[in-house]
Amino acid sequence: MSATILTEESLVGTTGARPGAMGFLTDTTLCIGCKACEVACKQWNQLPMDNFGLTGFSYDNTGDLGASTWRHVAFVEQISDETGQRPTSLRAFQSNWLMMSDICKHCVQAGCLQACPTGAIIRTEYDTVVIQQEICNGCGYCVPACPFGVPELSISDHKVHKCTLCYDRLQDGLEPACAKSCPTDSIQFGPVDALMARARARVSTLQTRGVEGAYIYGDQAVGGTGGIEGLNAFFILTAPPEVYNLPSQPVLPQTKVLPGFTALAGAALAFGVAAILALREE
Amino acid sequence: MTDGYERKWENRRVAGRSAGDEARDSYYGTPVIHKPHWKWLIIFYFYLGGISGASYFVAAIAEHFGGPHGKPIARAGHYLSLAALIPSPFLLILDLGRPERFLNMLRVVKLASPMSVGTWGLTFFGGFCTLSAMIQAAQDGLFGKATLLARLLLGLPSRTISAVGSLFGFFVAGYTGVLLAATAVPLWTKAYRLMGPLFLASALSTATAALALILSLGRSSHESIKRLERLERVAMLSELGLLLALRSTLGRTLAKPMEEGHLGAVYRGGVLGMGLIAPLILHARSVLLRQPLSRGVASLASLLVLGGGFCFRYVIVLAGRDSADDPQATFEITRSEDTQR
Repeated sequence: MSATILTEESLVGTTGARPGAMGFLTDTTLCIGCKACEVACKQWNQLPMDNFGLTGFSYDNTGDLGASTWRHVAFVEQISDETGQRPTSLRAFQSNWLMMSDICKHCVQAGCLQACPTGAIIRTEYDTVVIQQEICNGCGYCVPACPFGVPELSISDHKVHKCTLCYDRLQDGLEPACAKSCPTDSIQFGPVDALMARARARVSTLQTRGVEGAYIYGDQAVGGTGGIEGLNAFFILTAPPEVYNLPSQPVLPQTKVLPGFTALAGAALAFGVAAILALREE
Repeated sequence: MTDGYERKWENRRVAGRSAGDEARDSYYGTPVIHKPHWKWLIIFYFYLGGISGASYFVAAIAEHFGGPHGKPIARAGHYLSLAALIPSPFLLILDLGRPERFLNMLRVVKLASPMSVGTWGLTFFGGFCTLSAMIQAAQDGLFGKATLLARLLLGLPSRTISAVGSLFGFFVAGYTGVLLAATAVPLWTKAYRLMGPLFLASALSTATAALALILSLGRSSHESIKRLERLERVAMLSELGLLLALRSTLGRTLAKPMEEGHLGAVYRGGVLGMGLIAPLILHARSVLLRQPLSRGVASLASLLVLGGGFCFRYVIVLAGRDSADDPQATFEITRSEDTQR
């Protein structure tokens, strides 16, 4: 893995999150891989089971985020870059074992929300991104429009599902089920600005303790790039984003709409003139 | 509709590669993004919608600038445009996970969503397309001479209608390329400026081929067909140039799904060979020898172009799905700085 994290100092720890935005800080250095978040999410949101079987990919048997998996714990067994083999000695911190509870990022500028042609995907009063199930007609356009691969069409009801950041619990003053169940506080819920301040402090603590690779994923330097402006659910990681299957410099797909249509208009003009020249009365 | 929703790890193991091998350069080969479920219904829609939109604006331009030789082109174009348009909404609605909720598409107007803009554009285009075909039918006497409907239709400003409608025709023929480009799928989004023009060029080549074929079946003058073939050559050459530009923009990693295996064979044989190079050779021969194409050869060339246009929609949709499944392709565009504004 030879990923370079592109960071500009001024963008580290900054997001375009709106005032009052609620979100998650998922600190992967505290994750023990217990999957309590996956289970709590499934139980609270009454999600159907997914694959009943073993994937063969470490302890990960849910594979990735999808219609029925809104929290997904990734298990990375790090392999030495030099030899390409399993390492024979344990690193002092994290023991070559990376665990990360992935979730919908509730982007400040969300690709799924902007793509949705029915208006089913909305931004709530908590600045989270929620799919209104009574409106979604399963067109599936939000599915490839998410740079993180979060929304998915359900095989049972043919609509798209993803994390709601427990919208129903927030309305009753409760924290989301995954954060509630996390035994190590790897998942922390709260106002985005407070969480971001906490994340910055935690990263500098980690770095002074010798975890030099620790950084925030989901600010305008890494993760929340290319017009996404930041992630309301962000992470503290200790390896390049690609190790956790995350893009380091994702782009909001809708930044391509205006140049795309401009190019189309130019081509239409050119073909229109060509058609007039070819078809005209001589 | 379960097809296409299969869990990802069940079918993505590359032969000869273990989970450990995959783990070396990605998260066990797990796709970073989710691929769309679009398959045959959308491929057919892209094809028919393109023919419909392009034959409408070709008809409108022939009507306005073509004089007497443009008349048969305009007539065939208006009819073909409606015929190709009629299946389109059904294909799109059937592709929805919840087809009974298709009207929710008309709840909002969202300029940032090409699918929303496309829905509205297609809706308005449907109106213009139907009206123009009805006026054409009235002019052809299909509704009788003095019936109320015929008098009503003949009283409409047909030239203004087709002029405004042709703008929607251009849009319907090309917006599908922009729709694909505005996703996170590497193969579609990397060359985002080429996708709209490419779909428009393919729509124009297939529409002119279909119109030339239709006119050669009737008693139309040779002059009309000759003009259509001229336009067809422009469209084919542009399409070929745009495809080469697409390949060079994508680079080796991103273009892989279009070059390897079954899709690679369809791309080389169907899109390039059958759809562009073979008909271009036939046309070049007639241009160089200053001999018009014989009816049989012209029909063959048209059929080749029509087949090639379908292969193009097939390859671009399915190669996009494969591209979404390849974590290395996603990482390539999300690591590089040139995708940033």
